[in-house]
Amino acid sequence: MNITPITLEVFKNKFASVAEEMGVALTRTAYSPNIKERRDFSCAVFDSGGDMIAQAAHIPVHLGSMPLSVRAAIDAIDLGPGDMAMLNDPFRGGTHLPDITLVAPVHAGGDAPLFYVACRAHHADVGGMAAGSMPLSTSIFQEGLVIPPVKIVAEGEIVQGVMDLFLANVRTPQERQGDFAAQIMANRTGIARLTELAAAYGRERLAAMGAALLDYAERLMQAAIEAIPDGTYEAADSLDNDGAGTNDPTLRLTLTVEGGRAELDFSRSDPQTPGCINAVRAIVVSATLYVFRALAGQAVPANAGCLRPIDITTKPGTLVDARFPAAVAGGNVETSQRLVDVILLALSQALPDRVPAASQGTMNNLAMGGVDPRNGKPFTYYETLAGGAGADAAGPGQSAVHSHMTNTLNTPVEALEYAYPLRVTRYALRQGSGGPGRHAGGEGLVREIEALGPMEATVLSDRRLRGPWGLAGGGEGAAGVNVVTRRTGGMAMPGKFHVRLRAGDRLCIETPGGGGWGTPS
Amino acid sequence: MAVVGVDTGGTFTDVICWTDDGFAVVKLPSSPDNPARAVLSGLARLPVPARRVMHGSTVATNALLERRGAVTAFVTNQGFEDIIAIGRQNRPELYDLASRKEPCLVPEALRFGAPGRVSAEGKVVEELSAEAIGDLVARVAASGARSVAVCLLFSFLKPEHELLLGEALAEAGLSVSLSSDILAEFREYERAATTVANAYVAPVMAGYLGDLAAGLPEGTELCVMQSSGGLIRAETAWREPVRTVLSGPAGGVVAALAMGKAAGFDRLITFDMGGTSTDVSLLDGALSMAAETELAGLPIKTPMLDIHTVGAGGGSLARLDVGGALVVGPESAGADPGPACYGKGDGLTVTDANLFLGRLSPDHFLGGQMPLFPERLPELFTALGAAGGMTAVEAAEGVIAVAEAAMERAIRVISVERGHDPADFALLSYGGAGGLHAVALARLLGVKTVVVPRHPGLFSALGMLFADIVRDFSETVMAASDKTDLIEVAGLFGNLETRARQVMAEEAPGARMVLERQLDMRYQGQSHELPIRFVADPFLAFHNRHEAVFGFKHPKAVIEIVTLRIRARVITDKPQFTEAERLVAGVPAEAMLGWRPLVWQGAEQAAMWYDRDKLLPGNTLSGPALVAETSATTFLPPGVAAEVDGFGNLVINVDGGRAATA
Repeated sequence: MNITPITLEVFKNKFASVAEEMGVALTRTAYSPNIKERRDFSCAVFDSGGDMIAQAAHIPVHLGSMPLSVRAAIDAIDLGPGDMAMLNDPFRGGTHLPDITLVAPVHAGGDAPLFYVACRAHHADVGGMAAGSMPLSTSIFQEGLVIPPVKIVAEGEIVQGVMDLFLANVRTPQERQGDFAAQIMANRTGIARLTELAAAYGRERLAAMGAALLDYAERLMQAAIEAIPDGTYEAADSLDNDGAGTNDPTLRLTLTVEGGRAELDFSRSDPQTPGCINAVRAIVVSATLYVFRALAGQAVPANAGCLRPIDITTKPGTLVDARFPAAVAGGNVETSQRLVDVILLALSQALPDRVPAASQGTMNNLAMGGVDPRNGKPFTYYETLAGGAGADAAGPGQSAVHSHMTNTLNTPVEALEYAYPLRVTRYALRQGSGGPGRHAGGEGLVREIEALGPMEATVLSDRRLRGPWGLAGGGEGAAGVNVVTRRTGGMAMPGKFHVRLRAGDRLCIETPGGGGWGTPS
Repeated sequence: MAVVGVDTGGTFTDVICWTDDGFAVVKLPSSPDNPARAVLSGLARLPVPARRVMHGSTVATNALLERRGAVTAFVTNQGFEDIIAIGRQNRPELYDLASRKEPCLVPEALRFGAPGRVSAEGKVVEELSAEAIGDLVARVAASGARSVAVCLLFSFLKPEHELLLGEALAEAGLSVSLSSDILAEFREYERAATTVANAYVAPVMAGYLGDLAAGLPEGTELCVMQSSGGLIRAETAWREPVRTVLSGPAGGVVAALAMGKAAGFDRLITFDMGGTSTDVSLLDGALSMAAETELAGLPIKTPMLDIHTVGAGGGSLARLDVGGALVVGPESAGADPGPACYGKGDGLTVTDANLFLGRLSPDHFLGGQMPLFPERLPELFTALGAAGGMTAVEAAEGVIAVAEAAMERAIRVISVERGHDPADFALLSYGGAGGLHAVALARLLGVKTVVVPRHPGLFSALGMLFADIVRDFSETVMAASDKTDLIEVAGLFGNLETRARQVMAEEAPGARMVLERQLDMRYQGQSHELPIRFVADPFLAFHNRHEAVFGFKHPKAVIEIVTLRIRARVITDKPQFTEAERLVAGVPAEAMLGWRPLVWQGAEQAAMWYDRDKLLPGNTLSGPALVAETSATTFLPPGVAAEVDGFGNLVINVDGGRAATA
């Protein structure tokens, strides 16, 4: 098989468009706002060994963790043509329970799978102790239904018993059913497209092109790492707390760059905690891949080749390599952001002109649920809020944007008020929250919501005690603030809390500003 | 008396005139400082005076893209002033630490909040007092803004507060755009952004159309093409210019539909390749509509054709990246320095590759009026190839293959991703560079037939002549099926229909019009709507459509009617394409320009060059061959056959054999 500069570029396009077409099929057919409107999902193509060949530009936090799902599925189940596996178990290829991955083999006329396709989507509820399945938990069992790799589609037909078991354990089964149909559709789109390509170019040739793309990404990543001065760089950063009594859980990184390779050693990080901020190793891989791919530039395909020049070390039982049955709901959304912060902080010593100051460093997860007094039906509302981005040598940080490991859309005020017994009373930039500096950090935002009936709310947020750090003499961004206002007055709330609201109560979230860059003049 | 289509592009202004005697065309350089000048001088060159001028204008588009609009204020509910800057919270690039959103069109000092609030049920939960209005108008008037966009929460349910504010702001001398007029639909950010875009370009558009109207003879009707493919009067266009942001590209697509219908190609993929970008769209017997587009970082949600654009064109630059892949675009050589063969820069482009391989000729490029320097190319392609272990020819063929892969991907977006198989369509290629790549693209997509119309470079202007006068009306109503019966559903259209009739009485007085009704519906709990044509039982129609599109339905679930739409259409008199008899005679000798060398798949061979203007209906050609005309060149690779049909179209059978003309 002749691999030339031309075939590389042409097949890079082809594999990427398979993943993109899967994503379009998923968006087009998904049922729930969280997938359809906020686009909290990812689609990717894998080789027969489970190495990722292409991922569409979806959610970065899924980037490094999807391959582990595929491997877990391959190891557990013999997948024939028309079969699909489903899983969400964080200790067997998942990250946190709401992210459910469907894996399917692509036989393309052969006896053994030539490729695999997978799609992962964040389901708005998978059961557990709190509506929205993002609770302040202390064990995995409180977070919802744990799904090890199981066959959900057999020879093209849904395995109804498994589906019924799942639907019986979640709060909004009709929505879940619609979203599963969309995920199955997405995988089928990928299978059809790859089968078509295998017929057009030959099975072996197509597989060889997939392998060549991994080598290509490896070369690009190696060149990017070569541009980082050799050396050993240390950094540490902490979360505020774990929401269950442990303060300052700390991530520690020793980054060694030498001869076009990078080694990231996280093994000195704090032990796993009772609260829900534990991350499984897959999340470390995602955060690392995100940062290095962003450094290497847009053109690098998101595939397993990117990871070849990178070694990652974690120690089982720590915050970043949690063991069963740790609570992990927040690891994917909060600790993942702190992982990016600590990697960037280490790199800032090597690349002061390229690395931005810390961005908000949290996703400000907000879940509200109860019974809608307008129609007597249960409802669950979940979203994440943007904040300030860090400034860099080139200019000020952006205001009110999602940073790093997420990029979901907001729920429009009008959509939210129509669907839920809620009224938004303020949605604005949080003026003055960006860290001072030659280039100021971006502003956070303020979102205040009034409950129009009794309900419960869970907030999972961080950077409430210390603001995001500045760089090169720039100051910290303002820490976030959570306030509940009742008729009797306002109460400052911690970063992670669960509260019962009455009609007329208001919940106000002010998200952190980004860190500043350079000494202010 | 004549009707005239005019399309203003970046380089040329095209004028095409239809009288009882047929078509007349004028192509002249654009006058970017004041586009009206070129339009008026083009019109002056026509043999007969124009009765009606139908205009594709890029004035609104360019004012947005180049940020040359009016100083614009934004008025919304107190506490929500920043929603126009926050957008949907997402960032444009995922994997780019330095990426930044485009700055907001309305700076912070020009965002204003008014008291007053309407609930999701359409009830006023906080009043807007006369004092508050007076105070707000004073602040806006003192801000230096010339134009103002007003977008209040739930104004589509209850526009009263917007109307009060609008009236007071207009009295203060400001140009006012109300969201309940421009886009009475839910989702506040998209509605606000569309209204702000309108307010921002309205003064510019009014100035331009004013100049143009002043230069036209008394009594000439002036219409402007909308992004939807329908025309509106100039008076409407300067109040609602945001409806025209895809004005130019829409013309080409409308022409494609008309030509396709005449020549028997109902299912078409249009392919318009220019210097820096390529526009593609799909026609399945009718125009395809898109939900929104993005321009200058703002979502624009007025009705518009589904036209997808990629940054790959004749001027796209080729380079070898550090991983060893050959990359083409999105950087472009532009008009200056232009492709390496223009003699100024060394950057190799797709145009250079075509020239190097013998698919363009210096004698025929733009009618031979543009001097080219092919002698520079061997050295440059040898250098590009050497860096990647390729010969010069491999490198040049590679540049073309990579550009074609990008265009293939663009066409997949509007076909495969929308549930269509491109093999069921013919590819209609227009624009200057399309004909060089159309056959190769067709092969990549499994398309059997390529159609290249006459005057491919004037196709957008031609489309203006085939458009109806169209206005779109919409209103979000949020009616749930458990609370609304079928008689009430029909009644919901009442308000909108009254408005449509009033407006159309001004837009096209006395004309006979057709009203097309549509409902956007969804299951309760979904966040996306499915458009359903209005029928006796729209709920049943929705269940069935949901099953057809998504593979399942929930017959017991509550359905929401989110938005009602009415399209009012006045059918205009249109030119008829006349089909000439096809002759059996051979290609006339004067159409044969001679043999020239061509490189195809690494080997040199000779290809005949034909003069498009001299070919006759019924003439058949076979590849390898090139067909040259002033504004374009078409490449027939070895193994394909083409026939000139009775409309002058070049119909290419990609599989070879006799061309399948309709």
